[in-house]
Amino acid sequence: MDNTKPIKRGQIAAKAVVKVGLAHSKGFAKRVFGANKEISSKQTHQESAKIIFEALSQLKGISVKVAQQVALAMPFLPQSYLDELSKTFHSLPPINKALMRKIIKQELGDYPENIFNSFDSTAFASASLGQVHKAVIDNEPIAVKVQYPAICSTIAIDMKILSYGLKHFAKGGNIDHLIKEINDRLYEEVDYENEANNVNYFRQHTTNKQIVIPKVYENLSTKKVLTLSFIDGLHFDSFMNTKPSIQTINHYAQLIFDTFFDSLYRCKAIHADPNPSNFLFIKDGKLAMIDFGCIKKVDNLFLQKYNELHLSLIDGEDEEYIIAKYVQLGMIDEGSKEDMAWFYQEVIKPLDSLYIEILINDTYDFGAHGDFTKRGFDAVMKVSQKKTHSIHKVNQEILFIDRTLLGYYAIFEKMGAIINTKKAKEIMRKFKGENNE
Amino acid sequence: MKISQDAKEKTKIKILRCAVDLMIKKGFKDTSMREIAQNADVSNPTIYNYFATKEQILYSYIEYIHSLSVESLKTIPDFETYTLREQLQSFIEIQLQFYLEDREFIEQIYDMAFESSSVRLDNLYDTNRIFIQTIQEILDIAIEAGEINKPPFLEYVPLLFWDYFVIVVAYWIKDDSKEFENTTQFIDYSMSLIESVLHSNMMQHASNLALFFLKTHFKNSLESLITKKMKFGKKSFTKRRLGDIIHG
Repeated sequence: MDNTKPIKRGQIAAKAVVKVGLAHSKGFAKRVFGANKEISSKQTHQESAKIIFEALSQLKGISVKVAQQVALAMPFLPQSYLDELSKTFHSLPPINKALMRKIIKQELGDYPENIFNSFDSTAFASASLGQVHKAVIDNEPIAVKVQYPAICSTIAIDMKILSYGLKHFAKGGNIDHLIKEINDRLYEEVDYENEANNVNYFRQHTTNKQIVIPKVYENLSTKKVLTLSFIDGLHFDSFMNTKPSIQTINHYAQLIFDTFFDSLYRCKAIHADPNPSNFLFIKDGKLAMIDFGCIKKVDNLFLQKYNELHLSLIDGEDEEYIIAKYVQLGMIDEGSKEDMAWFYQEVIKPLDSLYIEILINDTYDFGAHGDFTKRGFDAVMKVSQKKTHSIHKVNQEILFIDRTLLGYYAIFEKMGAIINTKKAKEIMRKFKGENNE
Repeated sequence: MKISQDAKEKTKIKILRCAVDLMIKKGFKDTSMREIAQNADVSNPTIYNYFATKEQILYSYIEYIHSLSVESLKTIPDFETYTLREQLQSFIEIQLQFYLEDREFIEQIYDMAFESSSVRLDNLYDTNRIFIQTIQEILDIAIEAGEINKPPFLEYVPLLFWDYFVIVVAYWIKDDSKEFENTTQFIDYSMSLIESVLHSNMMQHASNLALFFLKTHFKNSLESLITKKMKFGKKSFTKRRLGDIIHG
């Protein structure tokens, strides 16, 4: 019995660190730099990644969103880090009733009781940048997402501190692209009008009846308030807790998988935040997609090149052909044959073989290959140790697509699902046929 | 013919609104009672039945907003489910919401009160009756419901809260952030602090400490006076001073 005590104490201490309140930005900087000094040159990148993540998870407020974006950039982080991070996602201080009324009045022009038939002043869910209230208007249930005040200026301050901290960490390495990327994404997500446009876009273009996209109430939406139709469904964890049958699991995984390729090739846009909490599982086999803060649109020219590359990888074309495709996409710098081949073998192949592995056969059993995300993380770490300057020159579209796919694969692994890849490949080949005429 | 109380109140508010609008346009100094009367469609002598001086209008305005805020507070549908902090914070926010429409006017009051002292702060403080009553009521309910323990010197807490409100308005007047979001955050963070003070027994502990000091030094001073062993060395200086104060 007594043996368990020190462990418990440790847990409490860890929790206490997580619970340190808001506005700890200064502490964060100190901790990062303090930690940096302790890293001996022999320590691996894995350990420094761990330290970054520990420091990030201690940050509160909007920084949690920053941490989430970093996590998105690295979908292969070990589950334990992601768990620790996801704990902090929902730990923002709630908007209290007084403040919520003020925001509604400021944004929608009147107090909630004068706008809605009913409005639940207690939030039913927390969103990444705010909280969601259930309300009724014209007898329709709706979800009103309210954003924390002053989030924009907080982001600006947090990003300055983060970039300072990360640059120190990178020891002269060029990480500007990462900072810019995170910055752009954050500002996009902060603007709910942008999200409303995304929801409308997907609602318009989604043809699969089993995919449910909420309706935007335009006149009740602003930059800081987003009103959508209310969808009753289960979140990922609650859904998994109902112990669904393997058929049900496969059905949903397949729906997510096929929808990804359908929206990439037909809508020319993907829902680029592969967070399981962005799905709602509805009873009759339908799946709702919520939270459209992060989507990526691609142009047709890129898609043609990407499609050719993807298919040539699946079909096992020879290496020279594949390298040429990568050069076209700007993933490999043009150079001597040897240099390009070396770069492909050492940097690109360990990563692309991972997501192509899923697509080669007609089915892929994530339950049977339970180590997929672990192998993925190891591969990313191994590649990042190569310290090649070119790794920073990645094609942003490819980065987004791969990141999202890998995020979905991590979800499928959690579900233990079997995926059928036929339809996805059909979509790819159909696109190729149409674009080569 | 007697004018009903209702009609009187309506005229008073009409004069108030016209006065505030004029003062926003021309400034407090350059607005005359005659002009206000003209704009409000009342005769020149009538206006003096309502407001003896121009300053009086200013104080009435503050009282008027307090009463509007209380009315607005009453319309919140589930106000009884709000925590003490949420209720107090709502009251502050509602006041500011009303002030927002007349921000330039509030700015003038603050300038006059704090920078040119043409408005006496005491008079400004005489306008807070409704405010204090409301806070008192909110606190009483929270104590009765067992949300907080009765703090020592309860009757002074609303007055302290009024002081806090004056600081909030002063901060808001100087706030140049977009949509005054700094003020929003300032209120949220400071209310958190007030919440913790009210919920902890901190005020009780502080008053115990103060009483301890008062009693001890009071007792010592008395003793030293009674026994006439007054040594006017450096050490007993404080005691002597206290003794002097007590005996006048």
